[in-house]
Amino acid sequence: MSEPTLDRRLDRLIDLLAENATVVVSGTRLAAELRVPQSTLWGWIDRLRSIGVEVRGLPGSGYQLAKMPDVLTPQAIRHRLHRGQFGCRIHHHYKIDSTMNEAARLAAAGAPHGALAVAEEQTAGRGRLGRSWFSERTAGIYFTLVLRPSLSPAAAPVLTLWAGVALAEVLSETSGLPMDLRWPNDVLVNGKKCAGILVEMTAEPEKISHVLVGLGINANHSEIPRELAAEATSLRLEAGRSFSRLELLIAVLERMESYYNRFQEQGAGIVVRRFCEISSYAQGKRVKVTDGSGVVSGVTAGLTPEGVLLLRRDDGRTEKILSGQVRPE
Amino acid sequence: MNLKEIRELVELVAEKGISEFELERSGVRLRISRNTGSSSAEALAEQAELARTAGVRVAGVQPSGSQQAGSFSAEAGTGVSDRPEALHVVRSPMVGTFYTAPGQDAPAFVEVGDDVQPGQVLCIIEAMKLMNEIEAEIAGKVVKCYVENGQPVEYGEPLFDLRPSVSSHQETDAA
Repeated sequence: MSEPTLDRRLDRLIDLLAENATVVVSGTRLAAELRVPQSTLWGWIDRLRSIGVEVRGLPGSGYQLAKMPDVLTPQAIRHRLHRGQFGCRIHHHYKIDSTMNEAARLAAAGAPHGALAVAEEQTAGRGRLGRSWFSERTAGIYFTLVLRPSLSPAAAPVLTLWAGVALAEVLSETSGLPMDLRWPNDVLVNGKKCAGILVEMTAEPEKISHVLVGLGINANHSEIPRELAAEATSLRLEAGRSFSRLELLIAVLERMESYYNRFQEQGAGIVVRRFCEISSYAQGKRVKVTDGSGVVSGVTAGLTPEGVLLLRRDDGRTEKILSGQVRPE
Repeated sequence: MNLKEIRELVELVAEKGISEFELERSGVRLRISRNTGSSSAEALAEQAELARTAGVRVAGVQPSGSQQAGSFSAEAGTGVSDRPEALHVVRSPMVGTFYTAPGQDAPAFVEVGDDVQPGQVLCIIEAMKLMNEIEAEIAGKVVKCYVENGQPVEYGEPLFDLRPSVSSHQETDAA
């Protein structure tokens, strides 16, 4: 497959233009650096323009960026990211089926803890149980982290809450908008979803092989498809301005790693307590919970230390909610 | 003694064709007795189910000498089989909801009668939106599925019985 190579070369082209942003770079020099004929270079420049990178072409002299592109090239990420394990390997794609699939391939090939798969566009973005995730090109942030936690499989579900806590904090700080967490994994702004979390684990009976944590953040979508408009929104639609995807990605990765380290040192309590502070759903909210076997209604009564939702049902009994869809009643 | 150790003992006993085995340690007595005459999935499944219960009980305080602790014998067998069939029981590593397919309209990962390879996904257990893909550890045939799609499962609950394929050790063997 030549696609990964092309992705790397497009990354290099963007990095070259960004490094020389104050000057016009000749097409001859760019083509020489990338070791391709000028005709190929023209095609690549067009390709970058098609994903929203503003490249000025100056006849007879060369190319210059009109403004710094918001493309998540490995070099741009590394340049900004604190030195940690998250993002220790970065696999960037302009177009991919799904970062979850890519991360699964990487994990199967032995990718280390913290390896990151990130894409400008997903052609088959995935939600839970095969649902699709609307992945508008270069508007959202789509990435998957490969984790290799030293947890028992039974203790792993709290990782869903962990990702949500880190995400809600960063989105709230960056946008100035209040974020809510709907148990277990929806990040809401004004009652609508602006980010989704998908966690997939591969484990032997007693030992986790790897966990894939996929995040989709609706950052700069200028519109949401009609069929999703009641449930979903974007930061841009809610805040009335656009956001740097690169800065959001860096902030989310760093916050996730910081909570991950605290979770490892102090246990699940740190995540569960913070979740309860942020989430209006954790305590005293009237909800209905729908799953395969039916619907139960009641008032939420906090989380267990493992992060399981407690529901005081109308008949007075308290039920542990482990799965299902929680919605206000 | 934890579930894993008990399971290993059960597997060892089955593998070696031992008909009866007893162990007492730290106030816990475990007795494994095999019905060598019958190789039905049912009998083995019952053993496995009881093994799980025993595993849970062992975690609590168990008075010494209690027969309950590990007495999960099947009926004494009469016939002697020189190569008893050992089924591989796939268990749930966590509490959650059992899914047979990757999506609501998608075909099941596996059906009874299917041959599976090590690493092949058998089902998903979901808890708190964490999707745990359960993979086959061995090559074999799915002979039983214990749980229906969308149903809750407990820790250690049996999910599938696999009959190990004869060529399971041959990596090069095609599926």
